[in-house]
Amino acid sequence: MLKMTRRTALLLAASIITLSSAASAQESSSEVWTYWGSGAEKQAIESVVALDNQKHPDTEVTHRVIPGNTLEMRRQLQTALLGGTPPTAYQSAMGYELKTFVDADQLASIDSVWKQVKGDEIFPRGLQRVVKIDGKPYAIPLNMGVISNVFYRKDVFDKLGLQPPKTIAEFDAVCDKLAAAGIAPLGNASGPFWSMYNFYAPLLSVLGPDGYFKMAQGEVSFTSPEIRKAFELYRDTFVKHYSKNWSGKTWAQGGDDLVNKDVGMYMMGDWVSAYMKERGLQPGKDYDFFPAPGIGKATLIQVDVIATPKESKTSDNFLLTAASTEAQASFNKYKGSIAANLKTDPSIYDYVGQKEVKQLQASEAENVVLPNLFFLLPTNLGSEMGNQLERFASDPSDATLDTVLKTLEALRLQDKEDDAFVNW
Amino acid sequence: MSASSLPADRDAPIRFAAAVLLSAVFLAPLGMALLTSLKSPAEIVQILSLPHRPDWGNYAVAWNQIGRSFINSIAITLPGALLSVLVGAIGAFPLSQLRGRTGMIIYFFLLTGMLVPYQIVQVPLFDLMRHLGLYNTIPGMWLVHTAYGVPICTFFLRNFFASVPKSIFEAAMLDGCGPAGYFFRILLPASKSGLAALAIIQSRSIWNDLLFAMTLTSTDRARPVTVQLNALTSGLEVQYGPLMASTLISIVPVVVAYLVFQKAFVRGMLGGSSK
Amino acid sequence: MSITSATPGASRARLVYALFLALPVLLFAVFYLLPVAETILTSFQKWNGLSAHRTWVGLRNYTALFGQERFLHSLINNIKWLIFYLLAPPSLGLALALLLNREIRGETIFKVIFFLPYAIPPVAVASMWRWLYEPSHGLITVVMQSLGLGALAQNWLGNPAIVTYAIMGAALWWTAGFSFIVFSAGLRNLPSECIEAARLDGGNAWQIFWRVTFPLLWPSTIIVLGLSAVDAMRIFDIVWAMTNGGPAYASDVLATQMYDVAFGRLNMGQASAIAVTLLVMAAVFILPYITYMARHVERTEA
Repeated sequence: MLKMTRRTALLLAASIITLSSAASAQESSSEVWTYWGSGAEKQAIESVVALDNQKHPDTEVTHRVIPGNTLEMRRQLQTALLGGTPPTAYQSAMGYELKTFVDADQLASIDSVWKQVKGDEIFPRGLQRVVKIDGKPYAIPLNMGVISNVFYRKDVFDKLGLQPPKTIAEFDAVCDKLAAAGIAPLGNASGPFWSMYNFYAPLLSVLGPDGYFKMAQGEVSFTSPEIRKAFELYRDTFVKHYSKNWSGKTWAQGGDDLVNKDVGMYMMGDWVSAYMKERGLQPGKDYDFFPAPGIGKATLIQVDVIATPKESKTSDNFLLTAASTEAQASFNKYKGSIAANLKTDPSIYDYVGQKEVKQLQASEAENVVLPNLFFLLPTNLGSEMGNQLERFASDPSDATLDTVLKTLEALRLQDKEDDAFVNW
Repeated sequence: MSASSLPADRDAPIRFAAAVLLSAVFLAPLGMALLTSLKSPAEIVQILSLPHRPDWGNYAVAWNQIGRSFINSIAITLPGALLSVLVGAIGAFPLSQLRGRTGMIIYFFLLTGMLVPYQIVQVPLFDLMRHLGLYNTIPGMWLVHTAYGVPICTFFLRNFFASVPKSIFEAAMLDGCGPAGYFFRILLPASKSGLAALAIIQSRSIWNDLLFAMTLTSTDRARPVTVQLNALTSGLEVQYGPLMASTLISIVPVVVAYLVFQKAFVRGMLGGSSK
Repeated sequence: MSITSATPGASRARLVYALFLALPVLLFAVFYLLPVAETILTSFQKWNGLSAHRTWVGLRNYTALFGQERFLHSLINNIKWLIFYLLAPPSLGLALALLLNREIRGETIFKVIFFLPYAIPPVAVASMWRWLYEPSHGLITVVMQSLGLGALAQNWLGNPAIVTYAIMGAALWWTAGFSFIVFSAGLRNLPSECIEAARLDGGNAWQIFWRVTFPLLWPSTIIVLGLSAVDAMRIFDIVWAMTNGGPAYASDVLATQMYDVAFGRLNMGQASAIAVTLLVMAAVFILPYITYMARHVERTEA
């Protein structure tokens, strides 16, 4: 045993030597941080990084994966920003996420880059609104995911002689027919996002696009008759048709249900298309999508943007690359999402993507490409709303609805008092 | 439970059957993980199906993802576990001897450390490690795991040392052996099975650490397996096939460590506490 | 039983002990005290974690917390976890250790099997169990159906009334290996003469276990129960990776709430208040228990 202790002592000594030698090496950080950590998403961002290094060899950047999600990204940023070692650029959400960092004096406005790439012309107007704080742009949108479409099994619809529904009444009828054929009409999944995304269509059908932005700005009371009506409409169009046990599934398990024809329809972000393709289904043949009933001309998008901390120096070049159609084409081709830069060549898209681009163009013509409300509300209210909607979807009683609305209204008033809302 | 104390010949088959049954339950989730690691994405939707044709591609993806960090993890875990056990033993010995108020207060004070949620120490820790020049270094990770191992290792070994009969200590003192001599020559060898158990526990917890690694490492120079493994579940879609493949790869070293230290259990018993 | 202070060796012994303690205490002071002090300070402030600007708000973070339904719910869940962690994994671990403590064929293989789950990183445990608990086609539901118990199958992770217990099932599988290792080591260290003697005295297995083996195992039991209690208060990984505390906060515990409040809502002040509450509560309820048990050993020894 004594021998072992001596060995350990040696090890200790060795470690001290290594320690002192390691101490001299400091990190230079020209890094791009994302949580695209694997598969096609990782290839997507790395293709942009490679392109940038080719275009701007003087300001070389490397990609660093921050495993996790927005929360872990924030934690890492907090550590790095307080420690004075910011990344060159990082993956961020739009809207309130940017606002928080701007208020904390951590983000640099990217005015010059924005002008150079003609940001006011290449991105959808609804999206431009939410990467600007007080009129100044702070981030370059990289990709869009449409979250307002309902995916359905085309083969099942064909077999039952069903048409994609256009109105709420038709949707209801389709659901009933699917149920009669022994297929659960609609899938859903657990977590604060999915029920909330499903809720947007009823919300828009009640409030309209202007009301939607008013809500984002804290001007609509949760206890108003309109909001109650939206919740009730959500219950009567969506919640009542959800498959049994949806609340015990992840979004991917919900996707499996659609693949396995356990459900006939699934309202989910368009990433579920990539998921089904990977599982051998053919878009346009095995499955297809239609806009959520009640949504009107609007299309809702979830967006990833690239932001740059104030202290970073080489960021302009990376942002220029990220905004280019070349990078956007390469990124979105891998990821299977839609380029935020509308000038990007649409030939990169598959069936679903091309159809979505047309949909987005139609919405853009009416200026109703709407960003995800979750990221427009103050962070605490957005998160709470997601949780409360999940709660309501699993227990859609009037009593729950009362509590849900009261909880949210209290929070809205508090945020109002703290002057937390943004006029997008 | 009672079965274990009955004569072996009579109940051996019962105990064996119980062990087999429990093993089946313990292995079921792992069996599913193994199946999944051999499936193509198209097959994963059928949770319980057998893979059509074993798809070893997931292992290639997995190794590609975690291979480099594997070595870092070994370089962090081995010294980290040994150092933390050593420091724990150094702290536990006096605490197991001091019976007065001072000992109790120090002990209590160290124990509070076990209750600190690690999430709250990250920012100050990051600053500290950068000032020490240990950010993104493997020795830095040794230091951190040793420091954060102090409460648990001290607690563990203090209680383990308490199980060594007092009479041995008194006899050693009468033999003119000082406290330090007693610690190194008698107590440590007598506690081999405890030290080995703690080494296993520490190896496993250091190997599986994600939080400290996320805060304190940034590149392949020091990033451990867990960070790379977690990258497979980040972003929107979890890559189940590669995730399960890398999980199965990543638990191999922990099992090896277990088997190695496990030997020390047995030797600890055979060596006995006799001087 | 204290070291007789009259002997001249006593002061030298004290010096040796002080030297031994220096390094652990130093590490502790640097790596724990500083961050904890910082956290206590933050708990009295309003701070989003990013800005240089912090506002002093006194006790507001605490008062807001104590009236909050979500906080009380998390606290109750932590208490459920505490009870569970003190009972289930230690019992299973002890049973497994006893099962393998005597000659058994394939001992090493069984040992590895019982240890294996404990070696798996939490994120992978969570992924596996999300499938096992898939409510329609998961292994658990399917097995129950094939046993004719399909009616009892649940929406494991989706039903707010069940989700915490479902996660506990996964945690039992995952953590029993810990108690198993400690009890195995403890059993190895037992003086076999005592058990032999008891057997010769004609005690039956049950009596021998409760009257001889179990009391002798007390130091291992303290380790297991102490660390289990601590783990229960701090539990985070498995809950976060499996459900993020959902659905709608149903499986939230204090640590997941703290993480969500800190980084999901960027309210560092309130998150720190949760951390401090956790620390104080644990220090008030858990530590005295641990120290009491530790004293108990000394008394039984003396």
